[in-house]
Amino acid sequence: MMLRKKMTREMKSGFSIIGLYVIWALSWYIYKFFVAGTVAHPYVPELHMPLELAKPFSQGLVLGADLLGRSLLEVLSAGLSYSLTISLIVTIATASIGITMGYLAVKAPGWFRLGFDLAINLVFIFPSILIAIMIMAVTGQSMKGLIFALIITGWPGYAKIARGEAKRVLALTYVEGARAIGIGEIRLFFTVIIPAILPVMIVNMVLGISGVIISEAALGFLGLGASPYSWGAMLGGAKTVLLEAPHIAVILSVTMAGLIIGLNLLGDGLRDYLDPTEK
Amino acid sequence: MNKLMSKIFYAFFTIFIALSAIFFVIRLSPGDPVETILGERAKYEEIVKLKSQLGLDKSLLEQYSTFMKGLARGDLGKSLFGAKDIKGLLKERMKPTMTLAAFSVTIAACLGMFLGMMAGVNKNKGFDKFSRFLSLFALSFPIFSLAPLLVFVFSIKLNLLPVSEWGEMKHLFLPILTLVIPLSAVIMRVTRNKYLEESNSQWVLVTRSKGLSETAILFRILKICLPTILNVVAIQLSVVIAGTMITETIFDIPGMGSLLFDGIQNRDYPIVQGVIVYSTITYMVIYFALDYINEKIDPRTAQ
Repeated sequence: MMLRKKMTREMKSGFSIIGLYVIWALSWYIYKFFVAGTVAHPYVPELHMPLELAKPFSQGLVLGADLLGRSLLEVLSAGLSYSLTISLIVTIATASIGITMGYLAVKAPGWFRLGFDLAINLVFIFPSILIAIMIMAVTGQSMKGLIFALIITGWPGYAKIARGEAKRVLALTYVEGARAIGIGEIRLFFTVIIPAILPVMIVNMVLGISGVIISEAALGFLGLGASPYSWGAMLGGAKTVLLEAPHIAVILSVTMAGLIIGLNLLGDGLRDYLDPTEK
Repeated sequence: MNKLMSKIFYAFFTIFIALSAIFFVIRLSPGDPVETILGERAKYEEIVKLKSQLGLDKSLLEQYSTFMKGLARGDLGKSLFGAKDIKGLLKERMKPTMTLAAFSVTIAACLGMFLGMMAGVNKNKGFDKFSRFLSLFALSFPIFSLAPLLVFVFSIKLNLLPVSEWGEMKHLFLPILTLVIPLSAVIMRVTRNKYLEESNSQWVLVTRSKGLSETAILFRILKICLPTILNVVAIQLSVVIAGTMITETIFDIPGMGSLLFDGIQNRDYPIVQGVIVYSTITYMVIYFALDYINEKIDPRTAQ
């Protein structure tokens, strides 16, 4: 049985930062749904044009307005829920694919391992942005294409870690024990291997979420995002008006950095929490 | 010897697969360079004529075989736009990217290793905590949000540097700083953790009991840590390549990254293939060199 350990300070602060962001995203949804009556996007340029590049705390806007005259607070909230949704979907998908492939790479015959190494090398050789650009060129700039591109470029990282972990776990005696009772291969994978490698994978998933948020924003920044509410796309726009309205770039960067700091803190804290060797 | 041969074979195989993949994927993806050149209102005859001029009317397999034959002779073809020689174009664009990558990786490696060792030596003291805090921050600002912030601080608020020009040494400062900050943070963390791992080992105890000075011990530990750090640097290199792509578009630097980006946007097939040829070969060479260096430093990694 696992001993209950005290949460580290890093974990606590990580949890609270992410909690704040999640509460922000949820309350934005609730506000949209109950007060405004719709979750439609706040994109009405004709109405807001006079507010273009408004400074914070002016004209009734807490954070001012962006390039298109949209309220920055509202656009930020839309971007937050968008990027949280995408990163969660992508992380869960990539981690599942990565764990399966990594395990297969240990168990499967030689030719599979060769192909696996090749696939991983290819994904590492091509800049991930290039792969994503190519995929988006085929699928068009849609949510589906974006998620697909992020999954393709994301799984090798998990697969490498999962392979190492699976190798370690398979050599342990309790796997031998499980085999001796006559557990089938599939049941072994789900009831013995997965629980054993899950702690390490969860740490990497938490850090992976921030990675996905960054990749998604990078694509958006290069004009390849799937939504005008991608933080990256907004930053790309803010860059062009850096002289006139630096507050947009600063607010966007700091908001995004806050979320990433929260995730990194939680990931690091979890690593120390789950890792028995003191560092 | 046998091992070396299989490694070389594997490298060539990987390059071959990478090139074939990029060849077919970019041609099968929607978008037509001829339409981009001639515009939307081009006549059918004009399109057919230009296509046959550029050799794009042949079947995919025929184009593929001409490409591979040319590659075997070291000929990468000509750009579809402006018919520039790809090799000359690459040579011209390589310089800024290489300068940027070389400077930032070197500076980040030195800075990261130094800070990492310092943090490791002063474990859990003020410096360690401070530098860990700093690295957390450094890793939380992605390049494309860091760059506008740095431009805001250095160029607009302090008015020290020009925003986006290229040619003089001082124009290198902000792009390099943008790449160095996250990279040195990663290297710092790895160095610190590896140092703490190694400093508890038996051989350190032995050398210390033999009366070696602390500085000498420090350098020996650093040497043992080097393979791990170099591996991380190599992995980070693909991040840096992607990073230069973004940095170059932000700071308007005429380098490989912006060349590739424009090539993909315009469907200029030979340019994309050329950049991929060069970056794949560079990547492979770095990996080989790394293997070799690591074996020289620490023979245990050979196994």
